[in-house]
Amino acid sequence: MAQPNAGSLTGSVTDAKTQELLIGVNVILRSTIRGTTTDIHGKYQLHGIPAGMYDVTFSFVGYTSDTIYQISIQPDAELHLDVHLMQAPIQADQVVVTANRREQSLREVPVSVSTVSAKMIADHVSVTLDDALRYVPGVYMMQDQVNIRGSSGYSRGVGSRVLILIDGLPYITGDTGEIPWETIPMFQIDRIEIVKGAGSALYGSSALGGVINVITKEIGEKPDIRFRLFSGMYAKPTYSEWDWSDKTRFNTGGFISYSNRIGSFGYLVSASRMVDDSYRENDVYHRWGLYSKFNYNFSQYQSATLTTNIQWRTHGNFFWWKSLSDATRPADSQLGGEVNSTRGNVSFAYKEILSDKFFYSLKAIYFGNFWQDNIYGQVGNTAASHTTQVEAQVTYEISPVHVITSGLVANYDRIISDIFGSHPGVGAGFYVQDEITPLQSLKLTAGIRYDWQRIWKEIFASPAASSPSQLNPKIGLVFSPSPTTTLRTSYGEGFRYPSMSELFTSVNTGLSQITIVPNDSLKPERSVSYEIGGSQWLGNQVFLDAALFQNDFYDLIEGGVNPTQFVIQFNNVTRARIRGFEFGIKANMFHRFLTTDISYTYIDPIDLIHNTVLKFRPRNLFYASLIAQYQQWQTEVNYRYVSRVEAIDENLVRLAPIVDGDQRVACNVIDAGITYNLIDFNLPLTIGLTIKNLTNYYYVELLGNLSPVRTFYVSVEGTW
Amino acid sequence: MMSALHLVNRICTILVSFMKLLVLIILCLLLASCDAGLAPPPPIELGFSGTVYFTPGSWPSRDSLVGLMIFASEIYPLDSAMAFAGLFSDPPTIFVYPSMSESLLPFSADSISYSFPLRSGTYKYIGVVQQISSDLKTRGMRVFRVVGFYKDAADLSQPGSVVVNDSSQVKEINIQVDFRNPPPQPF
Repeated sequence: MAQPNAGSLTGSVTDAKTQELLIGVNVILRSTIRGTTTDIHGKYQLHGIPAGMYDVTFSFVGYTSDTIYQISIQPDAELHLDVHLMQAPIQADQVVVTANRREQSLREVPVSVSTVSAKMIADHVSVTLDDALRYVPGVYMMQDQVNIRGSSGYSRGVGSRVLILIDGLPYITGDTGEIPWETIPMFQIDRIEIVKGAGSALYGSSALGGVINVITKEIGEKPDIRFRLFSGMYAKPTYSEWDWSDKTRFNTGGFISYSNRIGSFGYLVSASRMVDDSYRENDVYHRWGLYSKFNYNFSQYQSATLTTNIQWRTHGNFFWWKSLSDATRPADSQLGGEVNSTRGNVSFAYKEILSDKFFYSLKAIYFGNFWQDNIYGQVGNTAASHTTQVEAQVTYEISPVHVITSGLVANYDRIISDIFGSHPGVGAGFYVQDEITPLQSLKLTAGIRYDWQRIWKEIFASPAASSPSQLNPKIGLVFSPSPTTTLRTSYGEGFRYPSMSELFTSVNTGLSQITIVPNDSLKPERSVSYEIGGSQWLGNQVFLDAALFQNDFYDLIEGGVNPTQFVIQFNNVTRARIRGFEFGIKANMFHRFLTTDISYTYIDPIDLIHNTVLKFRPRNLFYASLIAQYQQWQTEVNYRYVSRVEAIDENLVRLAPIVDGDQRVACNVIDAGITYNLIDFNLPLTIGLTIKNLTNYYYVELLGNLSPVRTFYVSVEGTW
Repeated sequence: MMSALHLVNRICTILVSFMKLLVLIILCLLLASCDAGLAPPPPIELGFSGTVYFTPGSWPSRDSLVGLMIFASEIYPLDSAMAFAGLFSDPPTIFVYPSMSESLLPFSADSISYSFPLRSGTYKYIGVVQQISSDLKTRGMRVFRVVGFYKDAADLSQPGSVVVNDSSQVKEINIQVDFRNPPPQPF
């Protein structure tokens, strides 16, 4: 890899306070594809850097990123640069990979990106990923359905308008197109990146309202045992009408993992178990999980990683309550029902740096999803879906100010189900993105992706689903007039192919004799996103970010109820526009003793066909966190306000029927917790007490579903 | 340069003050969120409800209006013995509202709205009864008389049946009362 007129950059990264060497710190030469991470000794080295002036960013989760500007790399010379990072809960200038499919400083991306760290997940005692997203600015969870800036609404069982990725690979079920939240290995997450706005120009279908990328932990350089145990106790409901059980209900779980590296070979194995008695009747949840990761570094420039993940789950049926008077009991028709599922994936990634200007990656994932629902032990509906995706990506640095990223994607899907039918599908995509930095302070990004898909009614039969090819462009501009100021603007398009369940479901729901009938002429949904925003550091204590956005949606698919024929069919019916703004402020106070993180999002969701408020979208989201740290103690209070959803599907409430299904209030919830690190006692343990829904506030996120009551969690986490 | 630094420092000072204010706001919000949110609806008052309309100018004098009650009978037709047995059997088959020991319905009103709590069942005869005398032992004199009843929409001369269930209150059970022209007495 050595090049003439090339130099090197080496050094170490330490904690500014403790002087502890930091392992795994991202070291990025900005505006280039070059980067590395610190090794087990906290040292890094970058060789073969063309002589010139560079900015280098050091970023690590839990620390304030540091950028050293205008370092000079001389030919055949080694520049030594030691860096000290400050611990800081404010994560405003991290390295992210999702916005442009390569590692970049957050300040270099033209769209709004939020991140959730592993520490935040642990501190919140987030059991599933959807729980971890509840405090992300602009994100709203409708129970297990994620909305980014109002993108999704309510679409239970019929596709997600937000794409979820695990280590950059799509993770959507093949039958219903949903996000299988419970199968995401929560304990192995390094961080979560949330990109807001349409993202199909890089990621294809489902990136209609945004992209969530779950990035799993790397295998460390030394033997590592980790575990976390938690147990939560649900409080008794305030109202005797809702107190359905004589027993105290618990939510208990944990995981243990072991990882090690032997020479070039690294491995990680992990097992997890969860049992949730639930605060509601017939809502008991059992889960086992096994996760493994194997990595082999052929050289400093070549590595391969194989990941496996499998989850077994049993979950009682609780689709909606019996009535508001019996809010903790399901409707009688759901009693005795449960869903058993086995879900798992195998993924493979190979990365190679061919030269200092060119690297590529090959990735593949298989995701299998098998479930059956039972009523009092009798097998009801069953479904099996298999999705496979392979992709190849190259990143080529034409010059230090010009980087091209391009890739090819192909997928094969197959479902076999008594309600969706038996259908195969194939798809392919090609994308290319160009990043140009004409000025040190200006970066222009432009990209386009072409997607193609075919789904067959039956194998070897004529194509059933007319899925027009999709061409989705994006363009973005970032202007940084100073190291503390960034202005950004972007335009992007998105789409979502109809899921197999929307196309082919044919089933009697058993609910008021309502039958779902297929519609294989559905078109893809489309979206167009515009955003203009900016961020500003004020000193090193306060960080501001603001954005104005507009998302236009075309051909949104909705399950329309025909009240006279008692039939539900999915159709492209809605043209919608969502405008709004988002404002966030993060600040340290009292010499970093206190940290606040506050965000507010205003959404104006309009159904342009009916000139009414779009259903299932709240207008106001306000999240606030207050964290205090003193020595080994940390305490935090989080407040979440989501305004009352103005419009719901009245037909669904009436015909299901969901008794009192129209009953809803604003969400007004406080979570609080305290943790203590036992490091002073030479114990690598952190113990915590968390109270979720401190004030025992009763609300619904989803029609007829009372959200969790006050729950007291104790947790212990250890690392050896 | 110094003035720029001074400006930044000034803005920082203002923002930190602002954040302190925000902390107070958050604390206020925490208190505000003590509202409990959703709650079970109050128990539904089963039975039936409606309006009693009084024919203008027909109200009797005070001395002949000791009590005025709405009744609901599961039995129809009635005679005096059946009416007595229905009122005092266990469980009763005839119910009155307000109870005889409670106060009178409003005197001289044009109409009154009422809500009659009742167990589920089919009530075949619903009406308004006037208590003429306070001496229930009076012999040879009518103590109670029916002054209006809920009519069958298909045959206005016959009482209409009302089915009360466990889940809702039956509404619009309206009764016309004319003290001067009472309906045929069932007992």
